[in-house]
Amino acid sequence: MTILTNRRGLLQAAGGIAAAGLPLPAFAQGAAPPKPDRIVVNASGGGMATNLRRAYFVEFERLHGIRVVDTSPVDFGKLRAMVASGNPEWTVTEIGGQDAERAKELNLLEPIDTSIVDLSRYPAVGRHSHVFVGSAYSTALGYRSDVFRDGSHPKGWAEFWDVRRFPGARSLRNHPVDNLEFALLADGVPMDQIYPIDMDRAFRKLDQIRPHIAVWWTTGAQPAQMLVDREVVLATGWNGRFFELSRRNAPVGTEFAQGSLKSSAWGIPRGTRNAYWGQQLLQVMTNPRLQAMYATELSYAGLHPDTASFVAEDIRPLLPTAPANLERQFWLNVGWWTENGARAQERWNRWMLQRG
Amino acid sequence: MELSVKGIVRRFGQVVALGGVDLDVAEGEFLTILGPSGSGKTTLLKTVAGFEIPDEGRVLLGGEDVTLAPPRRRDVGMVFQNYALFPHMSVAQNVAFPLEMRRRPREEIARRVAEALRLVELEGYGERLPRQLSGGQQQRVALARAIVFGPRLLLLDEPFGALDRKLREALQLEVRRLQRRLRLTTLFITHDQEEALIMSDRIAVMDKGRIEQVGPPGDLYARPATRFVADFLGESNLLDGAARNRSASIPGFGAVPLPAGQPDGPVTLLLRPEALRVAADAAAMPCRGQGRVVETVFLGQSAKLRLALDGGGEVLARLSLRPSDPPPAREGETVAIGFAPEDLHVVPRG
Amino acid sequence: MSSPGDSRRTIARRRETALFLLAVPALLLLGIIFAWPVLRLLAMSVEDGTLANFEKATLDELYLYVLFDSVKIAAMVMAICLVVAYPVAFWLSRAGRWGVALGMFALLLPFWTSVLVRTYAWLVLLGRNGVVNRWLRDAGLIEAPLPLLHNTSGVLIGMVHVLLPYMVFPIYASLLRIDPDLSRAAEGLGAPAWRSFLRVTFPLSLPGVSAGCALVFVLSLGFFITPALLGGGRVIMVSMLIEQQVREFLDWPFAAALSTVLLVATLAIYALIGRITRGARHA
Repeated sequence: MTILTNRRGLLQAAGGIAAAGLPLPAFAQGAAPPKPDRIVVNASGGGMATNLRRAYFVEFERLHGIRVVDTSPVDFGKLRAMVASGNPEWTVTEIGGQDAERAKELNLLEPIDTSIVDLSRYPAVGRHSHVFVGSAYSTALGYRSDVFRDGSHPKGWAEFWDVRRFPGARSLRNHPVDNLEFALLADGVPMDQIYPIDMDRAFRKLDQIRPHIAVWWTTGAQPAQMLVDREVVLATGWNGRFFELSRRNAPVGTEFAQGSLKSSAWGIPRGTRNAYWGQQLLQVMTNPRLQAMYATELSYAGLHPDTASFVAEDIRPLLPTAPANLERQFWLNVGWWTENGARAQERWNRWMLQRG
Repeated sequence: MELSVKGIVRRFGQVVALGGVDLDVAEGEFLTILGPSGSGKTTLLKTVAGFEIPDEGRVLLGGEDVTLAPPRRRDVGMVFQNYALFPHMSVAQNVAFPLEMRRRPREEIARRVAEALRLVELEGYGERLPRQLSGGQQQRVALARAIVFGPRLLLLDEPFGALDRKLREALQLEVRRLQRRLRLTTLFITHDQEEALIMSDRIAVMDKGRIEQVGPPGDLYARPATRFVADFLGESNLLDGAARNRSASIPGFGAVPLPAGQPDGPVTLLLRPEALRVAADAAAMPCRGQGRVVETVFLGQSAKLRLALDGGGEVLARLSLRPSDPPPAREGETVAIGFAPEDLHVVPRG
Repeated sequence: MSSPGDSRRTIARRRETALFLLAVPALLLLGIIFAWPVLRLLAMSVEDGTLANFEKATLDELYLYVLFDSVKIAAMVMAICLVVAYPVAFWLSRAGRWGVALGMFALLLPFWTSVLVRTYAWLVLLGRNGVVNRWLRDAGLIEAPLPLLHNTSGVLIGMVHVLLPYMVFPIYASLLRIDPDLSRAAEGLGAPAWRSFLRVTFPLSLPGVSAGCALVFVLSLGFFITPALLGGGRVIMVSMLIEQQVREFLDWPFAAALSTVLLVATLAIYALIGRITRGARHA
């Protein structure tokens, strides 16, 4: 790390020299700091970027007159390197679900300033010291609705594992996250007793389904595409991808039963120049009316309790946060994964390499 | 005839590279095709070797029509301009190549390779790679490779071009001796008239896709059939005059006698520089004139003089010198010039 | 006292120094963007003062297996590329101006789209219900769809597609460098075209073959998007494991150790390729 810390040292020194000759910045005395001409927001690209702009960035630009420049992709390694360099380019960044806890532990984030970001009406699952929960999403089951007609599709993982009653090629993600949970649920573990995960039991259950997995997917686009191409008839995937297919009238349905809920996390990289305006952007993102706009496009709904009421009625059942869906799913235990992720991944790699 | 080329025509788009070439080479003969670059001599060679298929005409080897036969069926040994030795094979492997292609037994190959290398005086070089040899040695390897399988015809494509003068002269004689000894029918290509004169039994002079004249070097030199041949082969003074009554009037020399049967009209006369005499030596000559020395070039055993004739025009004289001779004339001096009428040659197609 | 000879030598030396100075920026750049990171990598892998990371990277069955598998896949990609690329390069080296223009266009066309897009295109073409399988089925050649995707064959097809130009161009260049008189000479000396090719043209194109093989092999080892997508999870490359360590677990020292092992393996195989082709040339 020496090269990085050296650079940071240099920059700090330079900053110190500059600061010494200047009066205290205005915001230290309570007023808003000067406006930059732009801030940089890093998030997943693609359709998500378009909708973030439409729902939140446009509103932020209108309110504050600061341009929002968006970049992608989400990259935890890059975040860490940026903070280590002392001059993060990103003002605000999305953080992959499992990485939020670690980002806080590694001291990569500015604390959320609740005097700016109003979380008073947020549920507990959405109130964190360093991380803002932008929306919730779920790893759910996608199925061909022309193969499994009139609700005859598997509901829950025990049925997904039941290849006799529900024949056809399947696809799971090539990653232990979610899959270990799903395996335990398939094996009869109740939703509230998944953690701590019994890995031996989970992998034993995975052994059973392995021959029926045609594809272990890597990117979020894959399961959706494979369902459309009829490469497989059942696949796990991010609910937003299936939502998009439903909206395009593809014969693909979403089943939320025993889905794995996660929150999409946002943070302000520590040491970034326009942190204050980052907080302001997060505040814009708490607006339930805007959250509803975003959810209508992508199904990724924000956690503000009023959001659902702004969403059209026919779309509500497709949101993972709709009350009926929420109670049938479980929240992924990010803490467990932060602690055991590397071990689980290594075991997963080994398991994948066993031929057969 | 070992090689007969009959009416070969080859066009490349609008360009006519060969415009109806006829040529015969006798068994054991060394025939040189001499011509400037672009005269079509390389195309002719490629046609004989089989790398080009002519648009019209035929190629006969030992009486057999090989016009359409691929190169490998012609039994022709060729030495390329840049030798085309296989750089990744040793000298011995290069020479063995044509024998291997003919599936000769191993012992025979070894014997004949050794023999060929001895012929070109490269014994003991078998294990070397071509790049470890000098230019002259590479040339000999190429020659050994071209003759080792006893070809019906040997083709040499300007093989001495890349060598320095001394080496070139030595190799020219060596190749000539080898060719005589093995009685190899040889077609040699060059643009160097001196080389052609040294080596050939006969020379065919080519220009613009046609053969201008074929004959022994002496004949071509003394009695060129065309102005091009006269000019291309050796140095020449071409004098234009008008013939009348078995004599021609030439500016600067007046009337000179012509051989019997020469019709009246315009005539081109060839006078080789060595036929001219100057100053005191000119006095005994039947035809005389006068001129000013414009330039003298000392060449060792001879000197070359450029002379501006009193009657207009210039001639070149070559005077042979002995070491003790004084310089024949100084530049700017006006001297007598003379020659004997029997040294004049009427160029038939001037 | 300085003699005239001294000052002449000084001038000559100064000229040589000036020439060397011309190369300094390039050498510096190479040092900065290549040598320095490699050294940092090495340093990082032994950051904890032990060789534990290397022990894990070289002794653990999982990583050994994946390394072996990666090398195997890279070698297969290299071999297929060679077999496909050589005829293409040979044709290009003999083709006319329009043929070369067309060939170059066709070869370079894929470069204008991203690897990701090209890989997705293969998903559409090679799937169970993809274009290829549909044609074969409609033509009555097969009854059940061929498993072209989500296995090793899918990975090979995708990687060969991406890497083919890296094999074609060095071979093409080395074929162009061969004096055309050499194959003429061989034919004139009695060799049929195929023997002229085997004895003369092919051995002389080996430097290009060697360069192409090394390039494709090394690039193959670094691939992870294509094998991840087209392998259906069944093909694991070392680069995928390194990426996991860097991006997901932030275990940079272990990633560095894995990278170093990969680097050493690559250099060893690179040397081996060079030796084999040099040996073949003079055989």
